[in-house]
Amino acid sequence: MSHKFSDPQEQQDRGLKGLVLLTATGLAFLILLVRLGWLQVMKYDENLRLSESNRIRRIVIKAERGYIYDRNGIPLVRNRPSYQIALMPYQLKTPDSVFNRLLRIRDTSGARVIDSASLAWTFQRARWQKFRPLRIIEDASDAQVAFIEERLEDFPGIITLVESRRDYPFGTMASHVFGYTGEISEKQVEESYYVDAGYSFGDRIGQKGVEKQYELDFRGKNGVKYVEVNAYGKEIGIIPEMEHEPASPGNHLVTTLDMDLQAVAEAAFPDSIKGGLVVLNPQNGEILAMVSSPRLDPNIFSLEKRELAKEWASVALDSTQPLNNRAIMGTYPPGSVFKFITAASALEYGFITEDSKYPAPCTGGFRFGSRYQKCWSPKGHGKMNVVDALRESCDVFFYQCGLDQNMEPINEVGRRFGLGMALGVDIPGEKAGLLMDSVTYNKRFKRLNWKWSRGQILNLAIGQGELVTPLQIAAYFGAMATNTGLYRPHVMKEIRDQEGKLIRRYEPTVISKKGLKSENWHILLNAMEEVISAPHGTGAAARVPGIRVGGKTGSAENPQGDKTHGWFVGVAPLEHPTICVALVMENAGHGGSVAGPVAGKVLRHYFKTDSLEMAKAKQLQDTLTQPAGD
Amino acid sequence: MRLVKDTHRLDWSLIGIVLLLTFIGLAMVYSATAHDPGPWYKSFWFRQGLHFAIGIVLIVGILISKPRFWYNIAYPFFGLTVLSLMFVLFVGGEESHGAGRWIGFGFFHVQPSEFAKIGYLLVLSRYLSGAKVSLERPLSFVIPGILFAVPFLLVLKQPNLSTALVFSATTLVCFYWGGLRLPDLFLLLTPVFSVIAAMNQIAWGALMGSVLLVLWKRKLPMYISVAILALNIGAGFASYMVWNTVLEEHQRSRILTFVDPMRDPKGAGYQVIQSEVTIGSGGLIGKGFGSGSQTNLAFLPEEHTDFIFAVLGEQFGFVGCAIVLLLFFLLVMRAVSICQVHGHPFITTMVVGSSTILIFHVVVNVAMALGMAPVTGLPLPFLSYGGSFVMTTMILVGFLLLLRLKGEEI
Repeated sequence: MSHKFSDPQEQQDRGLKGLVLLTATGLAFLILLVRLGWLQVMKYDENLRLSESNRIRRIVIKAERGYIYDRNGIPLVRNRPSYQIALMPYQLKTPDSVFNRLLRIRDTSGARVIDSASLAWTFQRARWQKFRPLRIIEDASDAQVAFIEERLEDFPGIITLVESRRDYPFGTMASHVFGYTGEISEKQVEESYYVDAGYSFGDRIGQKGVEKQYELDFRGKNGVKYVEVNAYGKEIGIIPEMEHEPASPGNHLVTTLDMDLQAVAEAAFPDSIKGGLVVLNPQNGEILAMVSSPRLDPNIFSLEKRELAKEWASVALDSTQPLNNRAIMGTYPPGSVFKFITAASALEYGFITEDSKYPAPCTGGFRFGSRYQKCWSPKGHGKMNVVDALRESCDVFFYQCGLDQNMEPINEVGRRFGLGMALGVDIPGEKAGLLMDSVTYNKRFKRLNWKWSRGQILNLAIGQGELVTPLQIAAYFGAMATNTGLYRPHVMKEIRDQEGKLIRRYEPTVISKKGLKSENWHILLNAMEEVISAPHGTGAAARVPGIRVGGKTGSAENPQGDKTHGWFVGVAPLEHPTICVALVMENAGHGGSVAGPVAGKVLRHYFKTDSLEMAKAKQLQDTLTQPAGD
Repeated sequence: MRLVKDTHRLDWSLIGIVLLLTFIGLAMVYSATAHDPGPWYKSFWFRQGLHFAIGIVLIVGILISKPRFWYNIAYPFFGLTVLSLMFVLFVGGEESHGAGRWIGFGFFHVQPSEFAKIGYLLVLSRYLSGAKVSLERPLSFVIPGILFAVPFLLVLKQPNLSTALVFSATTLVCFYWGGLRLPDLFLLLTPVFSVIAAMNQIAWGALMGSVLLVLWKRKLPMYISVAILALNIGAGFASYMVWNTVLEEHQRSRILTFVDPMRDPKGAGYQVIQSEVTIGSGGLIGKGFGSGSQTNLAFLPEEHTDFIFAVLGEQFGFVGCAIVLLLFFLLVMRAVSICQVHGHPFITTMVVGSSTILIFHVVVNVAMALGMAPVTGLPLPFLSYGGSFVMTTMILVGFLLLLRLKGEEI
């Protein structure tokens, strides 16, 4: 289908049409050029003045982040204004004189307010960062701000900025639950979660804890205002013709935390010992208190980047890993606390009854094949039934109990109570822990070429070899005591808006409904109580006068340290459990003697003040729901 | 090798114009986004450079092919682009600024509406190379009308009005090229004019008068003349009814604001005011590269994409803007001159269509930056940041080079 220029008429036609198209393009461009000339030549002066003075400036009003409250309406995390004195490089016409004037500022004692070396560095940076404010004084005092504001004409290029920062009235308390906010990272800014929500560079977002979990609730909506500014960058006034959009503040998070209980737990758990503690209500999964030690000062995250980098390095490189929330991220062998699982599965699967005794008596140890495995008590416990064995925490009973069953039934019951899985708590970073059987074992230790043998059951039956978090232990023990199902632990109680209106509430959710047969449940409840109240009970330190408390101690061996991790879990009142405390103290010794007293303090506080607190809670709740009187 | 042998007919002046515009574009994206934090390899200018590099590979690929190949794959290619448009619309692509327009392939995203421009150009050129459209034979509009309506409605639904307008402009110019006379083009458009003019009775009356005049001069068959008149009256009446009874006050206000952004100085108008001030403050020769205070202070939203022309205007002034417009004009001149070398209607329609797509973007984008057109979000070829659009632009350039090089091999 060759197409030659056989038809001169057609070629002429094409030429004409081409000319029409070119003319049309040229005409359109001419109109654009005329308009360009109008704007750039005729109206040049006016436009230049407008741009020079930057008369209209669009200012984003950052929405105020929502607060965090405890269950009784006590504010735990608030905002405070923070003033910055900064340098706006492009407005800096006379760097040397401004530099010298800044250095001449002295406080009442005569010391320089601004460090000359860092100021020199800031002025250096100003050469290539022309259009970003560079901070000179971080978190400036009112006096400093007033001083600068009154002398703006002497300091052309120096501006004051105000930002909202997080304020923690209770210092380090429960800081691991709150987490912290920080500038959005380069990686996050590309994640679809943040992209879809409209985040961009420079935004501060929740980086850990509930700050991260409930970021979209906390953030609110930024507003916009249009202001007229003078050549010094100072606002002259807002421009009334331009419509302003006020910022709408974020929603408040009412947590399930009980700050009184938290304070007691914090005081009881020494900062020198590493570990984690969880207090929750097994009836609905509400977390009443959570401690992770060593503590973390959340205020350091409010600092400027440079300062933060210093503090951050000291925290992040700290071998004690204070950034980790050990209550949900620390995984430890459960030790004897696990024995209730071994016992429960033996009962549930019919391997033993309440009165069963194993053939080999405890003589302070147990022979299995060629090896001799000790009981913690060198004296030995003799022949025991399951309740006695749990009370005395006799290892030899559970060696045989484990061998009798194999790991499968034990792990099934473990999973019923949430072990070996993440519980879905609303704090990011939760660890799932680990339950062990032959398949998992061979896979996990393939690299080391270790093979599963039945001898492993001896260790696993007494809780050496599994990994659990304090949160899991609290949830498991609580659920076993209530036998009404395992509830998902959570710290969010309600989300409320600025006026206190309820936005949404955390509905308790059951993770696993399957409990124990009634008769087995009663046997285990009896054993739980024996641990605390029997004359030889290992958990005597957690007794509460007048209250039926159940519990279990544990001392988990760890390969790193010579001392064991001390575990304690306690639940009360056994008739209708509403509180379960679990804690682990790393390398601290025996659970009964180091961890038990801590749990005891928490439990005793809870019951002594319970009715009083309820009344107070009701009252504070009411004040929170009422609009603030402003 | 074929490519080497034909080198003397490769359009080096077109390549020169394109490289010059590309270079200016990269410099503008750089200066518009230099204040963004982040490492250089994540910067907009670097990524834009990558887009152009990929575009050059595409051009080389196109130059290896033959026009016949594009003629043959026109329909399948068009079908594919329509399918991808349906995919983003109904299955759901990724959203950017609230409109689902993207398909993500892990590390990169494509905008099917961009490639639909190519697909539609191919299919329209192929159809018009075999059939003429004429107002005297209304049936001649049926097939091209369907080919137009499918992608048009799909992108309109996204909603992406600007791309839909690109389809319309391409269609009209190619119809003109394919035989439709200017008065007929006018008549074809009058129902659309009627919808707009219906707001003002005098304007609508004037429009009807001119329609009657053209109809009387054209001496079309009676039934066609009546149909056109009826269409105009119907469109005008429907528009009047919808405007005054169906639409709510806020909907009317939104439409008016779209047409005249200045009605809303805090929203669309804010961008336009800032854009005008930015351009105007550039003066005759501009403030110099990297010295745009408006740009650097981020007074101007979307500065590296839709309002890149303002960045140019501020830093290089009237002279810089005029040079860029001149380069675009030279580009079209080079393109249209292909029609004097090769006569096959597929070739010439492709050339005209490609040029139309490019120039329509330029005119609408610049007019928007100058406050003369609604803010539609059409990017400026070679200057605006954006991966898919750079690809489209470079493919069109590839076509223009190919058609001159091998235009007789069809």
